[in-house]
Amino acid sequence: MKLEYSGQETVQASTEKVWSFIKDPQKVASCLPDLKSVEFKDEKNMVATVGVAVGPVRGSFKFNIELDPRPEENKMMVRIRGGGLGSAVDLTASADITGKEDQTTLLDWQGQATVSGPAATVGGRVLDAQAKRLIETVFANMGKKMSEV
Amino acid sequence: MAVQTTNLEPKGIQGLGKAIKRKEDSRFIVGKGNYLDDIKLPGMLYMALVHSPYAHAKILNIDASEALKIPGVKAVITAKDLAAAGLSWIPTLAGDKQMVLADGKVLYQYQEVAAVYAETRQAAADGAAAVQVEYEPLPVVVDPYKATAPDAPVLREDLKGQMTGAHGPRRHDNHIWTWDVGSKDETEKALAASEVRIKQHMVYPRSHPAPLEPCGCIGDMNPATGRLTVYMTTQAPHAIRTVLSLVTKIPENNIRVISPDIGGGFGNKVPVYPGYVCAIVGSIVLGAPVKWVETRTENLTTTGFARDFHMDIEIGATKDGKVTAMKVYTLADHGAFDAAADPSKYPAGLFSICTGSYDFQKAYAQVEAVYTNKAPGGVAYRCSFRVTEASYLIERSMDVLAHELKMDPAELRLKNFIQPQQFPYPSALGWTYDSGDYEKTLKVALERIGYAELRKEQAEKRARGELMGIGISTFTEIVGAGPSKDFDILGIKMFDGAEIRVHPSGSAIVRAGTRHQGQGHETTWAQIVSEELGLDVDKIIVEEGDTDTAPYGLGTYASRSTPTAGGAMALGARRIREKAKKIAAHLLEVGENDVEWVDKKFVVKGVPGKSVTMNEVAFAAYTNLPPGMEPGLETTYYYDPPNLTFPHGAYICVVDIDKGTGEVKVRRFVAIDDCGTIINPMIVEGQVHGGLTEGFAMAFMQEIAFDEQGNHLSSNFTDYLLPTALETPKWETGHTVTPSPHHPIGAKGVGESPTVGSPAAFVNAVVDALAHLGVRHIDMPITREKVWRILRQAGVDSF
Amino acid sequence: MEITLKINGAEKKLNVEPRTLLVHAIRDAGLTGTHIGCDSSSCGVCTVVLDGKTAVKSCTMFAVMAEGHEITTIEGMAQGGKLHPLQQAFHDQHGLQCGYCTPGMIMAAHVLLQHNPNPTEEEIRFGLSGNLCRCTGYQNIVKAVQQAAQMLQQPAGAAADD
Repeated sequence: MKLEYSGQETVQASTEKVWSFIKDPQKVASCLPDLKSVEFKDEKNMVATVGVAVGPVRGSFKFNIELDPRPEENKMMVRIRGGGLGSAVDLTASADITGKEDQTTLLDWQGQATVSGPAATVGGRVLDAQAKRLIETVFANMGKKMSEV
Repeated sequence: MAVQTTNLEPKGIQGLGKAIKRKEDSRFIVGKGNYLDDIKLPGMLYMALVHSPYAHAKILNIDASEALKIPGVKAVITAKDLAAAGLSWIPTLAGDKQMVLADGKVLYQYQEVAAVYAETRQAAADGAAAVQVEYEPLPVVVDPYKATAPDAPVLREDLKGQMTGAHGPRRHDNHIWTWDVGSKDETEKALAASEVRIKQHMVYPRSHPAPLEPCGCIGDMNPATGRLTVYMTTQAPHAIRTVLSLVTKIPENNIRVISPDIGGGFGNKVPVYPGYVCAIVGSIVLGAPVKWVETRTENLTTTGFARDFHMDIEIGATKDGKVTAMKVYTLADHGAFDAAADPSKYPAGLFSICTGSYDFQKAYAQVEAVYTNKAPGGVAYRCSFRVTEASYLIERSMDVLAHELKMDPAELRLKNFIQPQQFPYPSALGWTYDSGDYEKTLKVALERIGYAELRKEQAEKRARGELMGIGISTFTEIVGAGPSKDFDILGIKMFDGAEIRVHPSGSAIVRAGTRHQGQGHETTWAQIVSEELGLDVDKIIVEEGDTDTAPYGLGTYASRSTPTAGGAMALGARRIREKAKKIAAHLLEVGENDVEWVDKKFVVKGVPGKSVTMNEVAFAAYTNLPPGMEPGLETTYYYDPPNLTFPHGAYICVVDIDKGTGEVKVRRFVAIDDCGTIINPMIVEGQVHGGLTEGFAMAFMQEIAFDEQGNHLSSNFTDYLLPTALETPKWETGHTVTPSPHHPIGAKGVGESPTVGSPAAFVNAVVDALAHLGVRHIDMPITREKVWRILRQAGVDSF
Repeated sequence: MEITLKINGAEKKLNVEPRTLLVHAIRDAGLTGTHIGCDSSSCGVCTVVLDGKTAVKSCTMFAVMAEGHEITTIEGMAQGGKLHPLQQAFHDQHGLQCGYCTPGMIMAAHVLLQHNPNPTEEEIRFGLSGNLCRCTGYQNIVKAVQQAAQMLQQPAGAAADD
């Protein structure tokens, strides 16, 4: 099952604050909903275990998350690969980061995910809605935490 | 001990044609059946499997370390471990081979990747969830038409570059075989010369038998004796024993296969599955019994699928509706391994029965099979080896032709039936039909349903804008594989055996190489023997499924039990009767030629009062024999049928369609079957009810579907829909009887006729209801949504 | 953890995990007439009766939830060596073939007839629509339930003709 999403989020924080936040795996990890555990491999890579519920498919997924900040292109790339409960998720996301005059920052993002296994087959009907909610939660958390920094 | 030898109650002999209640029911109705999962052996371990989330991927690494830390987990095996025992791949019934556990790559979603053995069911499942597998996804082939595109990824790297397979040349790495029959040139010429021609593409979608009891196996290797006992949900225990011996190199005498009570098979329980092999290997390696029972998801995603035939047909006819020629091309999606369960010489099974009940002078059929990223299978789901697809094709096409000719579909059929005097009838595609009276059967069905009035009603309703349709299917089956000259599986000829032992007190035990899964053999075999020997049916016990005791046989599928084992049963009993006659002569103190078998007794010719019963003869066989005669009264008979049998039927379906929702309501369904001699009418009717329900399921509900990534979209009963009591129509059944001339009791087999014959009747009825809107064909399953879209596109008002 | 389940009138002490499903506990207690057919509470072959009046798919309940309740399974239907009318009727009407769905079907029908002693065909079909059967096409199951309904309404001793 292929899923594609895109959107724009305005964060109440300056571009510098945004960059310093999203380059820090610890801070990014703190925005993941229902985070069970996280192991930081280096300054770009981490392994996060996240609680997941897609319809009747419920349990923990383990994700390898690679952050690939490209400040020179004003672009942030994220690759996520992993899964659990017999399911697999491959996700690539990117965001164009643009500072605004009013000290806010615009994240113009898009992501593509391929989901295989029961999360797609059994959870297929609710997967799309669940994925959207997950993304919204991540951005909401980020927005909140960035503005707190 | 008092031995009853004379007071045989006449009502005890319940031979052919009697609707006696089933002997096997007694244990099932009180919850004392003995199904595989009910068996618990001391020290037994449980097995769970790890499955692939990807439909096509390289396996980079398998890490079982976390699984092995779980309390109770004993071992985890992968393809590497199996390779050490030479068991990482096993041969399939179709001349291909298949992975037991994924060897380097996975080729379909849910493919088995590792096996986990543990002390409890829960620990095994936890262990399987803890095995970490790293994959590198590869491009996926889902559409069979794209499998042989020049740039299609190579699925079977083990066969890469091998341009010859088990059934001849291969033209692409994802091509398995091409099989054809009939004369192409003559058929094309006849088509070109035909006044009318129709062409139609139709798909018989991928389906799954889904018996309510899933598949399972207990491997029980006794390290002390070296003897392997395998309990398995198998429809063919003897064939399994032979295959296991060949694959494991364990001598066949050291393998005992026990097929306990089976909770439905429908073809699903014919092949050998990776789970079976892993349970057996686990037992050999761990020295303890290992049980594996699949989950429903495992059942639907990994074990034998059925159908998946993509068919193109062209039919020629005269203007007045006489068919002239038929040409068929079929693309068969066989999934990742060619594991189709077909007789060796017939890679497309008995698909060449596709000329059906009609007198086609010329015909040509070609079938090509390809690999895709789907589970293997191609099992005969309540079907005699692809006869379901063939029957659907011809019966659907006859309606398309009728539509083209603006002829009534019943009239078109009546015009083209093979006539009774043409039997034995040689078909254009090489079969010799044994017997049939198609016209009679259809006329009974037309009469029963009130066809003329229904057509009138339909015309009135159509004028009012109401949607009503009538669908006919007058199918011919081909069952009872089969004669050893043509039929074998892995070289083993497809005869079947029966052993009959008559005890001194006039009771008997009967064993067969077949294995029933609900068909009622414990009753019907007893009835055949009761009929032939004049013994009390209640004193005949039937036993099947234990290879240590039952005579060899190829098992129960493809409606073959009655044509093969049923024949063995009758002829074995007659052989016993020959000996019994000699004993009877001795008891009656006359010469053997003076004795005859009348009314289930041995009677002295011309002296009606002077007779002995089989009970008396049985007692004498152990107590009072003619001098020099070998004691006992028993035999083992192997029956090699001279031909297949060709049951037929006429089914008529009436549907009403809701214009607003697209819901199809089956108002009536009349099924007139002709399966030759009927052994037990109650059981035959039950078989017809069940088969019609599965035909209904295929027409309207069941489909194994995939998305573009090869995700299996029908992996459980909330996605793979089976009919409940609520949507299942009420069936009206009936019979004509045209016995098979070559079968010892004239029986033809019935278990599958309704599944084979009914889908076309349902689809024909729906198309008939929508024909005036320009609809010529709708592929199964006919969901409400499909009909609703057709109605909206045609601009039909909802109200 | 140790629990006590009352099944068919007999108390059984069982050692289960919190996640053990009732159907597994019943089967592990040796009562294998209750079957397992799916993972999604769709098929109904595991149907048992709770407290004599509620049909429950025993895969939808944890074993621990059943403590303190009376469970009736197919093994508890025949009394004093005499088949329950439903069992007799399933046999008489050829309401079973492979037998795998039969126990669940009988238990569901048992509760159906308690709530509606004289159901119409449609009410029977509706009442059993949570139980799948792959063999019979349901028609003879419906007939069996109709026969059982009649038998149950006759005074004791005036049972079926067979």
